[in-house]
Amino acid sequence: MLLFDYHRPTTVAETAALMAELGEDAELLAGGTSLMNLARLGLAEPAHVIALADVGELGGLDATPDGGLQLGATTTIRHVETSPLVRGRAPGLAEACGHVATVRIRNQATVGGSLVHADPNQDLPPMLMVHDALARITGPNGDRSVPVAELFLGFFETVVQPEEILHSIVVPPPARGFRAGYLKFLPRTKDDYSTVAVAVGLTAEEGRVTAARIAVAGGGSTPLRCTAAERALVGTIPGEATALAEAAALVREALDPISDARGSSGYKREMARVCTTRLLRRLGTEDAG
Amino acid sequence: MTLDQTPMPAHAAEDVAMFARPEVRHEGALKVTGAARYTGDHHPAGMLYAACLGSPVAHARITSIDTSAAEELPGVVAVLTGHDVGHVLFGRHLRDMPVLARDRVLFIGQRVAAVAAETREAAEEAVRLIEVDYDDLPAVFDPREALTDGAAVLHPDAASYGTIKGARTPVGHPNVQGELVHGCSEAELEEAFAAADLVVEHTFRTPRQHQGFIEPHGAIVWFEGEICHVVSTNKAPFGLRQQLAAATGHPEDRIVVHNRFIGGDFGGKGFSVDEFVCFYLARKTGRPVRSVMSYVEELSATAPRHAAELVLRTGVRRDGTFVAHSADVVFDGGAFAGAKANADLILHGGFDTMSAYDVPAMRHRVRTIYTNALPGGHMRAPGEVQAVFAGESHVDLIAGELGLDPVDLRRRNLPPRCPLAAEVLDRAAAVLPRPAGRGRGTGLALYRRQGGTGKGGVVVRALGPDRFEVVTGSADQGSGTVTMIARVAAAALGVAEDRIEVVQRSTADALYDAGAGASRVTRVLGDATNVAATELRGRLATATEFPVEVACVVEAPRGEDNPAFGACAVEVTVDELTGEIRVERAVLVADSGTVINPIAHRGQLEGGFAFGLGAALMEELLVEEGQVLAGSLGDYKLPTAPDMPPLEIVTIASGQGLGPFGAKPVGEFGNLGVPPAIANAVERAIGVRLMVLPLTAEAVWTALHGSPSEH
Repeated sequence: MLLFDYHRPTTVAETAALMAELGEDAELLAGGTSLMNLARLGLAEPAHVIALADVGELGGLDATPDGGLQLGATTTIRHVETSPLVRGRAPGLAEACGHVATVRIRNQATVGGSLVHADPNQDLPPMLMVHDALARITGPNGDRSVPVAELFLGFFETVVQPEEILHSIVVPPPARGFRAGYLKFLPRTKDDYSTVAVAVGLTAEEGRVTAARIAVAGGGSTPLRCTAAERALVGTIPGEATALAEAAALVREALDPISDARGSSGYKREMARVCTTRLLRRLGTEDAG
Repeated sequence: MTLDQTPMPAHAAEDVAMFARPEVRHEGALKVTGAARYTGDHHPAGMLYAACLGSPVAHARITSIDTSAAEELPGVVAVLTGHDVGHVLFGRHLRDMPVLARDRVLFIGQRVAAVAAETREAAEEAVRLIEVDYDDLPAVFDPREALTDGAAVLHPDAASYGTIKGARTPVGHPNVQGELVHGCSEAELEEAFAAADLVVEHTFRTPRQHQGFIEPHGAIVWFEGEICHVVSTNKAPFGLRQQLAAATGHPEDRIVVHNRFIGGDFGGKGFSVDEFVCFYLARKTGRPVRSVMSYVEELSATAPRHAAELVLRTGVRRDGTFVAHSADVVFDGGAFAGAKANADLILHGGFDTMSAYDVPAMRHRVRTIYTNALPGGHMRAPGEVQAVFAGESHVDLIAGELGLDPVDLRRRNLPPRCPLAAEVLDRAAAVLPRPAGRGRGTGLALYRRQGGTGKGGVVVRALGPDRFEVVTGSADQGSGTVTMIARVAAAALGVAEDRIEVVQRSTADALYDAGAGASRVTRVLGDATNVAATELRGRLATATEFPVEVACVVEAPRGEDNPAFGACAVEVTVDELTGEIRVERAVLVADSGTVINPIAHRGQLEGGFAFGLGAALMEELLVEEGQVLAGSLGDYKLPTAPDMPPLEIVTIASGQGLGPFGAKPVGEFGNLGVPPAIANAVERAIGVRLMVLPLTAEAVWTALHGSPSEH
């Protein structure tokens, strides 16, 4: 690992100024659980590291007045997982956070880091996608909002530009009758990235699905929403066997995973189908939260 | 082979009774307070940092090396290539590894150049500035292919290699590292097979595995005059001293190895790599030089468990009696044999495919083969893990062919006059009744393992009437050596344990010991301590002046019969839609003899089970065309605490071992039966037989549903 200069700005403005000055030699550091691993492997070689730990504006976990949530980029995964506010307003998000690596890593890793790192196996992106969460990005030309579902471009690549900072994530208030769940398939050890993982959000009114969201981690070069499968569920009875089998088959068809030590491409697609089926069945029997 | 149990000398009941009290680790306080200094904690004044350049290609001629940019980097003190070091070969037995490659590289990760610099960062940066041109050569990655005509020959000069003890016994094919045939003649074997009602043959494969210790390999070397000092992670300090002397020509009595605390071993810390290049860097710079491997290097440039292919053939009578057994075991030895400690350059564990049974005609052929990948090394029960997976899977398959109960088949073939074996088997079988219903099954594996031997000595010294020290040259890699020695000394002297201090000394100030390997430490050093302390106790009756000391060197003869039987039984559930195997509960039965450190003993068995669980379900160091695919323990997965099932440990304290007070070896015992027990349970649960480790969910799923379509 190369030595780097370490900077500790205290405001977003100061951070932006440092980024402008240091250019592409600089990397932002939140929890460091990804950046430091990449640096040790020689895959990242920043000459400057700008630590965000003291930038108070980027932290925090707040209720929004409309009943949603705002998660600061440097909020730890563990904070989200254990927050009563999150458990009340978006229990599926707390559930997904509880599946990230180990407690020790969750105490260190951050919401923003797990998004901008853009590893397609991360647990938070699919769950934020099913919540229609928005990423607030701040840059030289002001702020912009991008749906988390549109944040990812490819392996380790997002729409966040080099001069921009992921500021926070806004989780809109869930619709009445909304429920979400996460199923992470871990056939080796409980401390692993998933072979595949599926997040599902269902909104039901009067016994019918009015809106569905399905997103998958590990199914391709980015976390992926499976819109065809979502459409197939609208109008069906939650948990109804034929409908969920059809949706699960469409999830399988939407994916193009890489083959690696966690499974072949074809196996991962099959497992996404099985996990979707099981999760839809589970959500079909749960009451809306 | 004899399994008759010789009666052991009786010990005073009160002496042995003290072993029932759970031990407190003598070195524990140092470790938990951070005061214990591991290799990486040493910073001798003026120390330089070493970094090495590894080959990026699997087999190539080196056409040029340009180190000029590296030499000019600020902070760099020395740069070495193979031409600077010269033709220096090292190894634990066979010296076939160059300190730095000169004209050819044989695996990705092989050391090509080294830098010593004022900072680790400068050393690493300098390594990246070294330019090497390679001319690719045909590489061979499959051991069986390496034995075919026209295969690339890795070591054209193999016949000229020496061992640490002199000349080498010539081998047949140039790509063979070692070959040993054991057992009856081919004619006798075929005659025995001819008398069988049924002959079954199966082929099993097991992968490379990394030992998974947390502390990576590291070393510090410095000179004081002509004396070469070494602190390293090597768990056999006297072995390292001998290897350094053999390779460098530096006199053995002018090398002092100071190893004490080692952060995990599991077989991997008997092999040294960068100690040798540090020697040359220290000699060139006149300053202490330290190397600590990164985990990328640890996974790609050390010596993991040998991958193996095992072809087992067994003849049985219809009633289940085994009449003949043969095994052809091929280990992938990688590019160098230097990581293997024995003169045969094979893994003798390969002979243990049917070690728990009485088979009248047996013949094993065990080979290790050169391939263009990282060298094969030792890992917790080397060879046995592979052999017992194959053998105990094979036995269940035979039971299936004959329609016999697998436990009954095993019981029928146990060695005669060996009630311990039957007790171990029955205790394991009794714990887990056969569950009903598809998707749930139990499986069992039985094994017998011989403990390690060799030479080792201690000095037991009375500093006063009730104050003692035991001086040992053994490094403690975490298994509890120091505490074991203290407790044995206390029992033999008939004094309280807190009256004993165990003092670990360098190779210059302690009696020789062959090192912490092959589960030999309690057998040999425990025995030496017991003998010396017993003798000292006698002398104390008349002693008036202190100190009084007794030195004792014990040599346990190679091949001595000190077997222990073990069995593992598991209950699994298998998810047929995903292929996921879950171990719901498990039992481990160990014939441990007298237990000296009850907590460490339990830790060895529980940790051994976890180790076996990793081998069974997840561990595989993937190597593709010679390239190791894991760069960290985030890729190479080990089991963690939540993966462990409820585990019952049953100890049969027979007191019949050859160790002190009847102790038996336990260090490489808990892991052996886990993979075949799980494989056997999976077959009973869903009718799928897996013959390749690890037993992945995808392998189960594919066996049930066929290969998944790609699109």
